[in-house]
Amino acid sequence: LPAGLSQWFPALEVLDVSGTGLAEMGTELLSLPCLHTLLAKNNRLGGPGSLPKGLGQAPLARSLRVLNLSGNRFNEVPPALLQLRGLRSLSLGGNRLHGIPPDIQELHSLEFLYLGGNFITAIPPELAKLPSLRYLVLCDNKIQSIPPQLAQLHSLRSLSLHNNLLTYLPREILNLVHLEELSLRGNPLVVRFVRDLTYNPPSLQELAGRTVKTRNVPYAPSDLPESLVRYLSLASNCPNPKCGGVYFDSCVRQIKFVDFCGKYRLPLMHYLCSPECSSPFSSASQSSTSQSESDSEDEASVAAHRMQKVLLG
Amino acid sequence: MEQPVQTETWRARSLEELVRILHQIFAEDKVSVEEVQALMESYESNPEEWLQYAKFDQYRYTRNLVDNGNGKFNLMILCWGEGHGSSIHDHTDSHCFMKILQGNLKETLFEWPEKKGNGEMTKKSERVLRENQCAYINDSIGLHRVENISHTEPAVSLHLYSPPFDTCNTFDQRTGHKHKVTMTFYSQFGERTVCVSTRRDALH
Repeated sequence: LPAGLSQWFPALEVLDVSGTGLAEMGTELLSLPCLHTLLAKNNRLGGPGSLPKGLGQAPLARSLRVLNLSGNRFNEVPPALLQLRGLRSLSLGGNRLHGIPPDIQELHSLEFLYLGGNFITAIPPELAKLPSLRYLVLCDNKIQSIPPQLAQLHSLRSLSLHNNLLTYLPREILNLVHLEELSLRGNPLVVRFVRDLTYNPPSLQELAGRTVKTRNVPYAPSDLPESLVRYLSLASNCPNPKCGGVYFDSCVRQIKFVDFCGKYRLPLMHYLCSPECSSPFSSASQSSTSQSESDSEDEASVAAHRMQKVLLG
Repeated sequence: MEQPVQTETWRARSLEELVRILHQIFAEDKVSVEEVQALMESYESNPEEWLQYAKFDQYRYTRNLVDNGNGKFNLMILCWGEGHGSSIHDHTDSHCFMKILQGNLKETLFEWPEKKGNGEMTKKSERVLRENQCAYINDSIGLHRVENISHTEPAVSLHLYSPPFDTCNTFDQRTGHKHKVTMTFYSQFGERTVCVSTRRDALH
């Protein structure tokens, strides 16, 4: 960036330096008090100096709303970026990301997140902590599973997952009440019934966490280390209506196929908190007419009505 | 076979001229696919001329009507954000011309599924269309999926359909099952269309 940028253009709101071969953006950025849109796609950013130090203290941290860094060479989300608290729209499409940092949840105002075309293999459950997220693009990556916590993204309207390595989806995906579009093509979604998978007994931490949650043991952030407060917030409810339990990491997993408007059959992974919970679901027959089967059909037809564009095909 | 009246190839030097020549061509009883394709390709995309129709949507691609060809054809501009794509679809017995105005679009051709198809649909071919290229398809050629595979550049395309149609079938790649959908316009003649119904089946 040219030196003196902020002196010549102190009122700069939109800066587009896309396609200029930029390898780093320096301290000139820190003195632009009104900048709300920064477009720097198709450059050579990605190395250590890409974003200037002290970004978190600069006016930019509060003023920047839109940041486009697509088509660069980032192999991780630069930590400095997570200090841009006012960010509403972030694009890191077409970079070399292998993962998403859990601290992505710091970007509290994020509404639009584009991470398509990277090498991402997993999604941290902390991504679900973004309360305003409406559009999430994860297509063209190497994602093998979706954490059930993603169903906490209450504002999500569009989820792009095409061209990944998904074999099933978490059943909780049906809880995304505002989801209108879901793209799933180009995933090796299982088409045949899959037997129950191995059940690993819960850890002591998990058992304690379950007890705290199911018995409503009161706790405050001052009572526990921050890591445990976070852990407790990641509890998922057991979908078995007869069970009031929760689970964290240890659960029985079972795939059931759920029809969408009679058009698509999505393999949904049901996470149950214990082997006892799996007994209502008959693992032997697909055409069972047990209570749980019709529960699934009901919730599917409701979800299908909401989800207008399940783009499997 | 009748000889075409014009022996030289058409050249459209502006979008307005393209529309005018299209009206002329479609006023005749017989229209040649090659003639229309050559005409569409001859127009060198100039964003100043079509920017008013190029309305993007954050979540999906948009269809923006430019001209309704006196009922003989529909000319529209489609705007594809990064990663936006269509489902596999047919063209309801109409001719479909697709010219790239900006960026690139990937077209994947598919065979029609078997009558009682219950398997993965067969991919015939795929290609990436560049700026100013014009592709043609109709139901006898097959089905296709169109997508902007770029994660950094939006794409804009100019489509001509004759006769016009507002419903088509979309196909599930995994099973070949089809589903009829109604298409809507995001804007018409440069004006944003307000959606009347809550269900938007705007697929193509």
